Amino acid sequence: MSSTIDVGTQPTDDQRILRMTINGVQRRGIAEPRMLLVDFIRHELQLTGTHVGCEHGVCGACTVRVDGEVVRSCIMFAVQAEGAQIETVEGLAKDGELNVVQQAFRQEHGLQCGFCTPGMLLATESLLAENPDPSEEEIRDYLSGNVCRCTGYVGIVKSVQAAAKQRSQA
Amino acid sequence: MAIQETLNTGLNIQPEAEADAVLQRRKYIGMNVLRTEDPAFLTGRGKYTDDVHLTGMLHAAFLRSAQPHARIVSIDKTRALALDGVIDVITGEDLEDTVGPFSTTVHRPEVETVTRAILNSKVALYVGQPLAIVVAESRYLAEDGVDALDVEYEVLEPVMDAEKALEEGSPLLYPEMGTNNFAHIEFQRGDVDECFERADHVFKKRFHAGRFMAAPLEARGVIADWDASGELTVWSSSQVPNLVRTYTAGPLGIAESKMRVISEGVGGGFGMKAHIFDEEVLIPAASQRVGAPVKWIEDRYENLAASLHSKEVIVYLEMAVQDDGTFLAFKGHYIGVGGAWPAHPWTSLIDPLPAASLLPSFYDIEAVGWSIDAPMTNRCPLGAYRGVGWTPGHSARETMIDDIARELGIDPLEIRLKNMIPDGEEFVTVTGMKYDGGSYSASMLKVKEMIDYDGLRQKQAELRKEGRYIGIGWSPWVEPCAWGSEVAKANGFAAEFFDAASVTIEPDGSVTVTTGCHNHGQAHYTTLAQVTADTLGVPFESIRVIENDSATAVYGTGTYASRTAVVAGGAIMRAGSEVRDKIIRLAAHAMEVSPEDIDLAEGKASVKGVPDKVMTMQEIGMLAYYGGPNRIPDTEPTLTATRSYDPPETYSNGTIVAIVEVDIETGKVHLQHIAACEDCGTMLNPMVIDGQMHGAIAQGIGGGMYEDLAYDASGQFLASSLMDYLYPSTTEVPNIEIAHIETPSTVTEGGIKGMGESGTIASPVACLNAIADAISPFGDIKIMKSPIGPNDVREMLRAAAAGSNGSAPATQPADVETRLSQQAEGA
Repeated sequence: MSSTIDVGTQPTDDQRILRMTINGVQRRGIAEPRMLLVDFIRHELQLTGTHVGCEHGVCGACTVRVDGEVVRSCIMFAVQAEGAQIETVEGLAKDGELNVVQQAFRQEHGLQCGFCTPGMLLATESLLAENPDPSEEEIRDYLSGNVCRCTGYVGIVKSVQAAAKQRSQA
Repeated sequence: MAIQETLNTGLNIQPEAEADAVLQRRKYIGMNVLRTEDPAFLTGRGKYTDDVHLTGMLHAAFLRSAQPHARIVSIDKTRALALDGVIDVITGEDLEDTVGPFSTTVHRPEVETVTRAILNSKVALYVGQPLAIVVAESRYLAEDGVDALDVEYEVLEPVMDAEKALEEGSPLLYPEMGTNNFAHIEFQRGDVDECFERADHVFKKRFHAGRFMAAPLEARGVIADWDASGELTVWSSSQVPNLVRTYTAGPLGIAESKMRVISEGVGGGFGMKAHIFDEEVLIPAASQRVGAPVKWIEDRYENLAASLHSKEVIVYLEMAVQDDGTFLAFKGHYIGVGGAWPAHPWTSLIDPLPAASLLPSFYDIEAVGWSIDAPMTNRCPLGAYRGVGWTPGHSARETMIDDIARELGIDPLEIRLKNMIPDGEEFVTVTGMKYDGGSYSASMLKVKEMIDYDGLRQKQAELRKEGRYIGIGWSPWVEPCAWGSEVAKANGFAAEFFDAASVTIEPDGSVTVTTGCHNHGQAHYTTLAQVTADTLGVPFESIRVIENDSATAVYGTGTYASRTAVVAGGAIMRAGSEVRDKIIRLAAHAMEVSPEDIDLAEGKASVKGVPDKVMTMQEIGMLAYYGGPNRIPDTEPTLTATRSYDPPETYSNGTIVAIVEVDIETGKVHLQHIAACEDCGTMLNPMVIDGQMHGAIAQGIGGGMYEDLAYDASGQFLASSLMDYLYPSTTEVPNIEIAHIETPSTVTEGGIKGMGESGTIASPVACLNAIADAISPFGDIKIMKSPIGPNDVREMLRAAAAGSNGSAPATQPADVETRLSQQAEGA
């Protein structure tokens, strides 16, 4: 058993300092080249709203937006996101107010345990940006890469429909 | 049948229930109150186990067996310990003096006891078994350490066939036990033999219910901080934090009073996280050994291969049936396909024993007989998942009833209605289960109306002429719920259960409620606040509910088995009623009237008929805690009560129907629609109930058609990623329509029955029966296993065309018959 524990805060030879903009704020942190983007966001920048469900790009719990594109942050290295604009769940509410999509998920019971929710919200934001008035089939098709184990998707589909309606009236 | 009379029959509460007044003043119970929990989750502030970061924390990764059955000749730590950042490598020998074993059984004479080391580095009994722990400065480094361990296996013959595992001469997982069978149990009520002799028909079936699992989106995780003063704090993604404390304190050699278990955010549990896992002992042991907090987060491979599997039971059924479709008696043999050891504490019996116990369901039969065996095999252990063994038992029984209906030419709805016990009345089944009233027939008729059953049958006939095959699958259920002592015993588990709640008026008049249950998606902080508000007569907004932490909430056994609404709800009604009495007496004393003259509502105590004589809850709180001589003499200052509740047997019921279309060329099943009607007695929050139904049904769709924890014959695990283990997504789960009937329990506090699991009990067989119904024109179609995927549909069609399951009926379209037989010949 080793007797000393030295978790350094300065980059070692194989680590580097990364800079990226997260939710409009310039952040920097230290990462090995092999560190996944999701681990960098969660553990280095301590934004733990983005979750890890499978680490192989299937479940969608780690969904974030990188330069406007929906990305699975568990199958992307942090170093690949250097200089990128990143959006996570922490950036959705403004001035302490839930945004339209967040409110719709609450209103329509679009979440239970909450673990898939950040990824669902980000994917929904992207869907509505691309298609402000999606049909049920288009919603189901777009969200088919985000797994929810609690809701059977019924409340989620209703939430997206409600958010689309609300946005179209705004 | 006067079905309508049973709908919404109102309240019917046992005289000895203490809280019957609560429903008379209900304001929040039954309302769609939006969830208190949501804002934190919606903003990414959910506080799951992996979100916890402690100063000086180290990270663990496990070496797990690559072999299903092997002697471990050696584990060489040298290369791992030489890695920069690896702190420690722990094998079983390192913990021999500090960590005791798990000893697991169900207390009945037919059941063996398995006592085993919690870290066994000498023998591997399944692929994924922990063999060693590497502790390092980061998870990345810990996994490097695992990769650098050199393991030498001496491979042994695996035991994979559960039925052969019961035979003499089978290789043994535990040679010292002399058998692989964890339990053999037999049960009989009524004259089974006489019924089978008298019957016009005896039907037989073998059904192999598939192995699937909860696989919550958040896998498990444990953090342990065993500090220098000997106090241990454990964070664990568990549904049962108090049971984690009770069951791990012994092996760890620590007093429960020095141990705190926190399970704050849990990203789905579904029964899987209602167990005590080896890692919940091993991570604290690692923390003690390295003298620092240690975190382990389960990855998806570990979750799929080595947490807990569920539901796999091989069922042999026999039914004695009359010409007119009357059921006389059922017989069953249930072989639970257990894994390497009994899951702690429920054991592998959690599937076959409830499956067998509920064999009669709500059918009014004269006699029943069953036996179960629980062989251990070289697989991941078998444990509880939403609906436990009621799912495989239900699938076997209800596919068989559809087989019989087709054979006798009776509609599957009619044959069930014909044999059903009466609605609305208490009923003791042939096995002795005490049903507390339900809408067994009414729920079926409600769904019949929802789907326009007669119209759908016509449409089915028309579509068949066009070569399109839709199917309708019926699945009415009764669910034993609210796991307390009596319902546990009715399902073969002879143990005592309860839960508890504390209700406190704080000095400022706000209300704190704690329970021993656990909130992980079911909205307890909302629904139990609704119960509290109506019990006390205070605003919903003034109440905070606390669970999920052994240090801040009252001790109880946690949330599983559709129990919390009944058990914690009942405990809150009892404790809250005591507090309400204290408030009323205090207000009466302060306002110099008699207690009968006090109205307590909306958080104010007022004197009846005197509108300006009012005390707010804050005034009452301050008076109670700090009023000194102004209080009632000889009373204690606190406005609090703690009560427990162990409810009588209670059973919810309902019906699910699935409608599918089968593409007979590819075998692809398109699940078009699900309609359901549920009856869980008094509803607390219909929005939450709908959500529970939707989610449970979706999980059952997975078990019925997609999810399969397959092993090959050599014991290798074949479902080790989410590309192999198929979760239903938005495109596999259809819109789900839910209706409600409210038949309050005749026996529980407030008439609440449990709910939450029935969707997973009943939806797999709704899908299976719909598939069989769709392709029944092609011959003698019988569903013999689950899940049923496209390949299985094609195999059934080929077999039917070849006549191996009997001759094809005349309705079969000739061209398809010819094509299928040609394909069958070519195959």
